[in-house]
Amino acid sequence: MAEEKQEKSVPFYPDHLTLEAKVALGVGIVLLIIGLIGLFIPVGLGDPADPMETPAHIKPEWYFLSLYQLLRFIPETLGATAPVLAVLLIMIWPFLDSKQDQTKKPVRIRFWFSLAAVIIILALTIWGEVS
Amino acid sequence: MKTVYRTALLILISLSLVLFTAAAVHAYSTSANQTSPAGVDKANQLTETPGPEEDTCLQCHMSGSFTSIWIPVLRWIAFGGAGLILLFGIARSASVWKQRSAWTPITKRAAAWVDERYQVSDFLKPILSKPVPEWQRRWWYCLGGLTFFLFLVQGTTGIMLAFYYKPTPAEAYASIQFIENEVLLGSAVRMIHHWSANGMIVMACAHMLRVFIMGAYKPPRELNWVSGSLLLVMTLAFGFTGYLLPWDQRAYWATTVGTEIAGSIPVIGELALVFLRAGWSITSLTLSRFFALHILILPLVTVGSMLLHFIMIRKQGIMKPL
Repeated sequence: MAEEKQEKSVPFYPDHLTLEAKVALGVGIVLLIIGLIGLFIPVGLGDPADPMETPAHIKPEWYFLSLYQLLRFIPETLGATAPVLAVLLIMIWPFLDSKQDQTKKPVRIRFWFSLAAVIIILALTIWGEVS
Repeated sequence: MKTVYRTALLILISLSLVLFTAAAVHAYSTSANQTSPAGVDKANQLTETPGPEEDTCLQCHMSGSFTSIWIPVLRWIAFGGAGLILLFGIARSASVWKQRSAWTPITKRAAAWVDERYQVSDFLKPILSKPVPEWQRRWWYCLGGLTFFLFLVQGTTGIMLAFYYKPTPAEAYASIQFIENEVLLGSAVRMIHHWSANGMIVMACAHMLRVFIMGAYKPPRELNWVSGSLLLVMTLAFGFTGYLLPWDQRAYWATTVGTEIAGSIPVIGELALVFLRAGWSITSLTLSRFFALHILILPLVTVGSMLLHFIMIRKQGIMKPL
């Protein structure tokens, strides 16, 4: 805290909050434009739900699609348990990796790890989308 | 700074003007097409929008149908009153123009009035005047704040949609058709809700990756990471529960498969399945349950976790990278 006083800083209000508000305003304008598009091309609906008739291609939303795609190659029990365990692992991760970084090396390792994970998930999602 | 605000306000006002004009044009063009009430197919009833007999106050929601005599009268009163207030303001400003050193803006005087009574500034000043170091003003520190902004958008548009949505299998589908075809700006609000939901997931994941890569989860910020991952789970649960609500084929079968996958988890699987579906199959109870989760329980838990998340980050500050 003491060294924070010495470095160059701006007050949270109004300077920093204004910056955040400007960014939020930009996103808000994008959303308004999306809404404008929505007036002419609505989100729309599929056919009404019919429990008697299973459609040919069932796909979940895109953010679950990679897990769904993964289920085609691994047994269902494992595929259902893995995400739960992954979430639990994410939650306890700071307690497992609690040593402070001394060099830039762990940051780089984590960056490449994250990049690999994102690419794998993206690839599975796109694969699920086209298949 | 003032010019920035003024430009932003101008952009906002002109965009909303464009939006409203487009809505009016859209409503006019669709109402011109919908003049074939005769010969409505009985079998097609479900996909049609609800007729006048099913809606108690159709004219309340439909654009272009305000025809009563009171509307122009009220309009005159509203605009006339605004004009009178404006005139009074001009006269008042002209009278105090001579002693403008003594002049304080109305917002400042209102703030002082409240502050004199409740000492709000004692409480707000330490929160608002906290210094933000220059190195924190980078775009990658904005991702979490943007997730919060999109959550606020979701809350606002979600409340707007909840005014018209009916969470029963018989009426859910038709009520969403009503929102898209009849309600003023309804399809715009639904579109924003839809895309802002997707954006919120993207932003939350990006924020999480940023925190992970920089190692900001390390002591003493472990609990902030835990609450953040809880928030990510909440966001995904929002997506999962919200997907069923339109009650179309896609929604119904995606939920069927999703709950089935949850059901195949060992030991707790069957319990999870019965809990999610409120029984062994997807019924009206499932829809009610997902609706309650989507609009009551998840928002409450999310807001609580967010408060904790924000208080902790405020207490500890953002981790300074090496």
